[in-house]
Amino acid sequence: MHRLWNRIDFAFSSAWQNFWRNAAVSVASVLIVWVVLLALGSLLLVLHSLDQIVALEKTKASAISVYLADTTPLTSAMDFKLHLENDPRVTNVTYVSKDQAMARFRQLPALDPSVIDTLGTNPLPASLDVTVRDIRDLAAIDQEVRSSPLVDKSPATNYEPNVIDKIILLARVAGIAGLVLIIGLTGLSVFIIMLTIRTAIYLRRKEIEVMKLVGATDWFVRWPFIVEGLIVGVVGAAVAVLIVGFGYRPAVINLQSVLIFIPLAFDPAYLRVVLAAMLVFGLLLGSVGSYLGVRRFLKQ
Amino acid sequence: MVAVSEAAPQIHLEHVEKTYPNGTIALRDVTLEIPKQDFVFLVGPSGAGKSTLVRLLIREEKATAGTIRVEGQDLSRLKRRHLPYLRRKIGMVFQDFKLLPNLTVFQNVAFALRVTEGALRHLKPKVEEVLSIVGLEGKETKFPDQLSGGEQQRVAIARALVHDPRIFLADEPTGNLDPATSWEIIQLLLQINARGTTVMMATHNREIVDVMRRRVVAIEGGQIVRDEDAGGYHAPALESH
Repeated sequence: MHRLWNRIDFAFSSAWQNFWRNAAVSVASVLIVWVVLLALGSLLLVLHSLDQIVALEKTKASAISVYLADTTPLTSAMDFKLHLENDPRVTNVTYVSKDQAMARFRQLPALDPSVIDTLGTNPLPASLDVTVRDIRDLAAIDQEVRSSPLVDKSPATNYEPNVIDKIILLARVAGIAGLVLIIGLTGLSVFIIMLTIRTAIYLRRKEIEVMKLVGATDWFVRWPFIVEGLIVGVVGAAVAVLIVGFGYRPAVINLQSVLIFIPLAFDPAYLRVVLAAMLVFGLLLGSVGSYLGVRRFLKQ
Repeated sequence: MVAVSEAAPQIHLEHVEKTYPNGTIALRDVTLEIPKQDFVFLVGPSGAGKSTLVRLLIREEKATAGTIRVEGQDLSRLKRRHLPYLRRKIGMVFQDFKLLPNLTVFQNVAFALRVTEGALRHLKPKVEEVLSIVGLEGKETKFPDQLSGGEQQRVAIARALVHDPRIFLADEPTGNLDPATSWEIIQLLLQINARGTTVMMATHNREIVDVMRRRVVAIEGGQIVRDEDAGGYHAPALESH
């Protein structure tokens, strides 16, 4: 018990001294760890948001809203609805009135209801929400309904071909670019931590010489430097975790208010996983960097 | 593991060769036996191989050929992870003391125990014990630069004693000290020897060797040229009586 405590106490107090003795280098390595983990956390959250959007778009994929001109009488709208329902390609048509559209609109997150009230009149069109049997028929139906005089012209429908493909492509590009960036930064941070540890070893060369002389084991000599690397990893990770942890929610809310029609949602369960991953990755960077730092030096 | 019988020498070198990677031959065919509780002077000019011999005994270097046994243990077969335990059996002091300047006298000695995981409970009495052996009571809180050279070497000796070493190696311990202080250090080494520890001292100090009349091993050009009990610094033939 005493021995274990002595070992831990020695490792931590030496590591802490090392950290401050070459403060400039230590801070540099903390910063690089921080940048890597910030990039990692942000990338994971951006990819997750894109996933959310893709998932939601997929459920909407087999449906389009056909916007009706405000001048269209309800009876004509109902005739049009019946006409569409008789189309064999269509499985379901729902009429959404202007008031219903407004009620839905009010439910969008991050939208200030008082802003809507200042509009006075309701600018939203009524619509027929058409669900098709086969997504591939959506384009043809979209073409047909656009020619009807009942249909609003700006815009006629919410049909956006390939939107899912575009989002998936965006996610893939962002994922690859982010991964490349993170791999590069990871290599750089391991290298800088290694240099930090080498500097610490250099500053302690007299102590190390005496330690070996009086019979300290290799691991006893190594531990303080490994711990120093872990401190660098943990401090860098802690700062990044705080920023991502507290920044994710405001970022989502801000984006929601800018991108009103894009369904972004705050996902606390996923955030916890991301923060844990960041912390683990920070510890990994620290330990690998310091292991590489001590490995060569202590071989005789 | 080889059992150590009473008769077996504590340090045993047989046909030991040491060639450095750059081709320098530091030792050639060195055979030497040192029994327990012996007191040996290792003499010879600079570069003769004295320091190499000392480094081989704590296995800071490995012999190129031949065998070295310390306490019955073949050093060429000693695994790296067992090396620290060999070092704990051997106390070592140097010409340049190798004290840590930012630690006090007490801390310098305690350091050797701390880094070898000596139980902290026994740390203070042990440090006090070895400091009293070397006569440094009352100087515990001084830093090395507040001490004289002789006092610094005493701290180094105290540090080398904390593990109760069986063997004490001193590489030019009086090299930086004036004659009076050198004699004090020698007295201390005799005292350590009297407590049952084998002492080997590499030195240039002719006066001390000649007065002491102890065993002298002379090395020149990497070879043992003379090994006599109660010897002098130079071979008897060269001495004028």
